[in-house]
Amino acid sequence: MFDLLSNLFLGFGVALTFNNLFLCLLGCLVGTLVGILPGVGPIATISMLLPITFGLDPVGALIMLAGIYYGAQYGGSTTAILVNIPGEATAVVTTLDGHQMARRGQAGIALGIAAIGSFLAGTVATIVIAALAKPLTGLALVFGPAEYFSLMVMGLVFAVVLAHGSIIKAIAMILVGILLSTVGVDIETGEDRMTLGLSFLFDGIDFAVLAMGVFGIAEILRNLDNVETRDVVRQTIGRLLPGWKEFKQAAAPITRGTLLGSVLGILPGNGAVLAPFASYSLEKKISKHPERFGKGAIEGVAGPESANNAGAQTSFIPLLTLGIPPNAVMALMVGAMTIHGIVPGPLVMTSNPTLFWGMIASMWLGNLMLLIINLPMIGLWVRLLKVPYQLLFPAILMFCCIGIFSINSEPVQVLMIAFFGIVGYAISKLGFEPAPLLLGFVLGRLMEENFRRALLMSRGDMMTFIENPISAVLLAISVLLLAMALLPSLRKNRDEVFTE
Amino acid sequence: MTTRDLPVRPTEKGGLAVRSPENVLGGLVLIALALFALWLTLDLPRGTLTTVGPAMLPQAIAVLIGACGFVLLIAGFKRRAEHGAPVWSLRGPLLVSFSIGLFAATIKGHHFGNWKTIEFGLMFAGPMAIIIGGYASSEARFRDLLLLALTLTPFCMLLFGDMLNLPIPILPRFLSEALFGGMSYKSSLRVTAAVLFTAAILVFRFTKGRSGSRIEVAKHEVRN
Repeated sequence: MFDLLSNLFLGFGVALTFNNLFLCLLGCLVGTLVGILPGVGPIATISMLLPITFGLDPVGALIMLAGIYYGAQYGGSTTAILVNIPGEATAVVTTLDGHQMARRGQAGIALGIAAIGSFLAGTVATIVIAALAKPLTGLALVFGPAEYFSLMVMGLVFAVVLAHGSIIKAIAMILVGILLSTVGVDIETGEDRMTLGLSFLFDGIDFAVLAMGVFGIAEILRNLDNVETRDVVRQTIGRLLPGWKEFKQAAAPITRGTLLGSVLGILPGNGAVLAPFASYSLEKKISKHPERFGKGAIEGVAGPESANNAGAQTSFIPLLTLGIPPNAVMALMVGAMTIHGIVPGPLVMTSNPTLFWGMIASMWLGNLMLLIINLPMIGLWVRLLKVPYQLLFPAILMFCCIGIFSINSEPVQVLMIAFFGIVGYAISKLGFEPAPLLLGFVLGRLMEENFRRALLMSRGDMMTFIENPISAVLLAISVLLLAMALLPSLRKNRDEVFTE
Repeated sequence: MTTRDLPVRPTEKGGLAVRSPENVLGGLVLIALALFALWLTLDLPRGTLTTVGPAMLPQAIAVLIGACGFVLLIAGFKRRAEHGAPVWSLRGPLLVSFSIGLFAATIKGHHFGNWKTIEFGLMFAGPMAIIIGGYASSEARFRDLLLLALTLTPFCMLLFGDMLNLPIPILPRFLSEALFGGMSYKSSLRVTAAVLFTAAILVFRFTKGRSGSRIEVAKHEVRN
């Protein structure tokens, strides 16, 4: 307990310096600004803004990126409530009741309760991270390469099971991601693999290039196909601070959502994505008036929004303690950390405590800032929602081009975002999702490394993955999960969770 | 501008008919990718389990991808797709990738194989990318795009070049030598940005009312 407090104290010492406070604020603002744009979700926002953090020191860069992440999430809910366009999958739930509230002239209350719920959830989640970090890191240090490999397999299986749509397509995307990660010079033997003799592929495919192409550019292309029907709320926003009555109505859903989100977020694989869906169906189930849901029930905004934010935050846990990104956003964080020369994993906490605890402290500060700055700025955000897409996307395009060029001053990398943009567009037209691809790409390198190391240690005996008890349990869970997901009866259930 | 020309047209009869063109095409693409990866790693050593070679993992993954493709292909013949054939458009992907390509080719002097590109700098590469890319939308209007280009380009110069200290070529080399011979990178950048901003204001002033494409900004009441 005392340890926890002194660690948090250290963290706040780092996060409260003027420089870092400013970066956190800037990240939150810019994240909200971009995240609020209709059709730009958190993943696209982060991959687009990644280059602007390159010039900073690692602590500042990560603080700013975390701020961008929360800001983008917050902006996404604002768009969901006011325009009925979910920026990403998890905001779908918010559109259901949030937009209905907005149509009844309660947009301000919906936004207010979403912000307050998110802040409370963020506070709890920050404490959860701080409390769990140490024991989990201890666990991670016992892990050998075999355990790591199996854990990553389990994470990928989770990602498959929780992906939308066809399971076989999600598996295929993860595999393609892993395949892409093997392009480039082999670390151990120095032979170049699948580079087609192109010199710029020797170092492998750059992570930022892949992310920006598959998310930034491909998202533009997808959005251009959909004739947009924007349904910006025309009523007044109304008062922003919820009254006592609304607070009382929302208090219990916020608590339940926070708990649900915190637990689901820790799961390896994209558990956080389930949180808002689970919270919404829970609230609907235990409500005395379930018929109000879908027509502007405040519980339907408060619960899922809290769950979403709690999950978003606790999904940092697998990344910070085990070094394994559980979803595409965290995969982007890995990319950012690697660029700054930090290898995410159990060692960060001991070798770089100021970075670790500073980042955790800044998470809470970021949530607080979002609450304070964003509510009064709603008027500005509403105006931003009206920028027509035909002006928005050339700006995003330009930003992606300059951003990617500025990383290495390499025009070839700019060309490659065009290539991956087309690839991303094509795969989504064929019904594939790009998020598992990114996750597979990031985990692919780690998996190959650990796989080879494990086999080296066991002198080529594949049984090492099964003889090792922890690894065996992890693999058994993966097999079980995959089998369950492929069973037709359970598959129906899964689809229902997502369509509800 | 949409094309629905998929390799096989769906027919409703039983037997060996394509029921989901999306899945059939997806499966074929995956199989092709798997074969391509296998072909590329053909002459690399696979190694043994004790000393894993560079080709082992890519080949194993490729086989699995091929298997996924095969399953999808079969499914495409057996099960009907939930939604119809995908609608493709050409205008967006073509113009967007062309504008990115143009940006890559003009931002900095660079060797692409035997080709050498001329350095035009951000001053020209940026607006070109915005205006040409902007026409990917069918609702594009030249004046709007020009104004966007003339404001966003200097903004990016100041953000990336001045604030973030990232070296980005601003002007064609001969031009920057002729104009800002003795000046530092940053001051020449600031002057260029100022010129572009001024141009934006002038364009805005003198073409006002020529196109009815003003951005509508509605008033919103916010009460606390």
